[in-house]
Formats: sequence, structure tokens, C-alpha cells
Amino acid sequence: MKKILAMLAIVLFVGNVMAQEEEISFERKQAIDSLALEKVRDLSKYIKIVGSKETAWSEANRVIDRAEELFMSNAEIGVSSVASNNIKYYKVRPYLEHLMRLNYDRVEIEWYNIEYVSDLQRQPDGTYVGVITIFQTFRGYDKEGNLAYKDTTKKDITVYVKRKETQIGGRMIGFWDVLLGDMRVKETANK
Amino acid sequence: MLVLLAAFITLGGTTSCKSKKKLAKEAAEAEYKAKVSEAVRDLTAILNDETVWTLEEKENRVQTIKDWNLKNAEVDDLLFQVEKKLARERAQANQKAEEERRAAEEAAKAAEAARQPKNVLEKNFASIASSTSTTQANRIINETLTLFASNNVPVLIIISQAGGFNDYDRPTTIEDYLNYLKDQKVNRNSVYNLKLNDDGKITEVELIKK
Repeated sequence: MKKILAMLAIVLFVGNVMAQEEEISFERKQAIDSLALEKVRDLSKYIKIVGSKETAWSEANRVIDRAEELFMSNAEIGVSSVASNNIKYYKVRPYLEHLMRLNYDRVEIEWYNIEYVSDLQRQPDGTYVGVITIFQTFRGYDKEGNLAYKDTTKKDITVYVKRKETQIGGRMIGFWDVLLGDMRVKETANK
Repeated sequence: MLVLLAAFITLGGTTSCKSKKKLAKEAAEAEYKAKVSEAVRDLTAILNDETVWTLEEKENRVQTIKDWNLKNAEVDDLLFQVEKKLARERAQANQKAEEERRAAEEAAKAAEAARQPKNVLEKNFASIASSTSTTQANRIINETLTLFASNNVPVLIIISQAGGFNDYDRPTTIEDYLNYLKDQKVNRNSVYNLKLNDDGKITEVELIKK
């Protein structure tokens, strides 16, 4: 019995020490929170560039590559329309290529109110997961410059942040890898 | 007759000698007066800034007048005033020369600092982010890439230094980072550290969040 109690005490002690090691300070957590928000803002700029008819084809393709790097490999992006209740989900590259080829003469895309709806929470595997919400306004204009389509969509983006290591210049570098998951449509309005 | 002739010669010689001395004295006095007049004229002109002489020329002129040693009250008074004036001008000229030397030294230091890779990078990062066209941004990107050993030089971005060690963002390459600045149009990071090879080319960049 004494042996069992002693072993239990050791397990609890080691577990407690490991838990302490895994916790990160408030400052570091803040830095990670900001980093994840920054990635979403980066994505908003990439979407704007890809959607713009003024962007050269080669530039748009380069930007699609960069935007794709922000996402997890199987992530999907939801697309809605005020004309339908259906929400279509695309993989990231097809979504961006579809955006690039939209049949409008001019496209304006703006993201705003980018903020956490669910703070980054540490998961058992060490990954931090949170949800960031964004509002997107979309405006498509025809050749005559008339507004042909508009909507405002609220979307939730799941964010995954994981501590990783890589070797650079002969030394190990610990870094926080932020990857965006699915981008789910929450609401779409004709405004 | 002979006695009369001798007396005439003797008297005549004496008169001639006296006349020469008188003439010499008159000439000396005239020369003195001329020098005094010249000195007064020049010193007054210097005092009233009515010459086109340089400071050195004015100082030389004053020295010449002093060397004449005229012992004239008016000249001495003017000399006193002019020397004071020229001393002030010399001090101002020396101060100006020193300021110019310092300014030139600082300009040279600033030019040297501007040529340092870190400062060149800071400037180019800002220029790319604020470019008004893709063409302009690409030109600066190509120019900036010549500072690097290759387009794949790693770029590490420190997001936090809490707890005594660095937390980084996902590493990228310099080419991607420069394009990132072009796309995002925001320069969020400062140069924290650079590694250079023997050719002076950058082989690693460490940035830090501003």
C-alpha cells in the first residue's frame, strides 16, 4: 500500500511539473494571440489582391501560393450568396482561383471587425485552438461601373497555433506555427 | 681774392648741407603723414566694413600698419578698435569653420551609416511597404536581393522575448519576406540582427516586432 501511495505521489508530482512547463506566460500568450490575428489580417490583404481585377495574373498566382501557406492542408472556405441559402465549401486554392476569375469588371473586398470569438485554448496535444470572426463586404461592378452584386458575410475562422522547431544555420529555432483551418459562413446579408 | 673765394666755397657748402637735411626731414615728415593718412583710411574702412578684403587680408594690413610703428594717437585708437573687431571676426570664422568641419564629419558618418546593411535594409523595407506601384516595389525588391547571399536566405521574426528567450514566427525566406512587405504594405518588423559572409553578403536575418 505504501509503495502504491509513493508511486501515486511521484506520478502526481511529475504530472504537475510537466503541466507547469507547458504553461506559457501572459506576455508570450499575448504575442501568439497577436500573431494569429495578424495572419488573418494578412489573409484579408491576399484575398483583396487576388480579387482585384487590377492585379496581374502572375502576381495573383504568387499571392495565391502565399495565401495557401496560411492554411492547414485540408481547410475549406465557405462561399454564400444572398440569392441562395446554400453554402458551398471550397478548398483554399480552388476558392482563390474562383475569386480571381469572378465575372465582374471590378471587385471590392473588405474585411473588418477581425477579432477573437473564442480565445486560443491549449489542447491536450499542445496545440492552441481559437476562433476568429471577420466581416467581409463584397462588391462586384459591371462594365458600366454599376454595382451588380453586393453582400456582407460574417465568417468564423478556426486558428491553430502549434510550437515547432526547425534547424537554421546549425541551431534549433523554436517557433509558433499559425495555421488557419476552415472558414465557415455564419451570416450573409444583402448590405 | 683767394681768401674771398675760399670763404664763399665754405659758406656755400654749409648752406647746401643744411638744405639737404631739411629736405630729408621734410620728406620723412611727408612720408610719415602719408602713412598716417593711409593707416587712418584703411583702418577706418576696415572698421566700417567698407573693404572687399578677406579676413586674412585685413589682418595682414593691420600687421603692416602696426609694423610702421607710427606712434600716432588716432592710428593707435583705430588699431585698438580694429584689432578688437578682427578678433571677434576671427573667433566667428573659427567657430564657423569648426561647425562646418563637424557637419562634414557628421555627414560623412551618416553617409557611412546609411551604407551599413542594417540601415539599407530598414530603408528598403519601408520603401517596399510604401511603394505606390508593383513595378516600383519589384525594383526595390530586386535591388535589395543583391545584398543577400541568395534569395533563400532565412528570415526569422521574433514575436516575443519574454522569459529570457526568443519566440519566433514561422521562418521564411528573404524573397518571400520582401514580397510580403509589398503585398501587405505594412512594415511591422525592425532589423534585429544580421549575419554576413566573407563577401559581405547577408546570410541570415533576424527581425523583431516593432
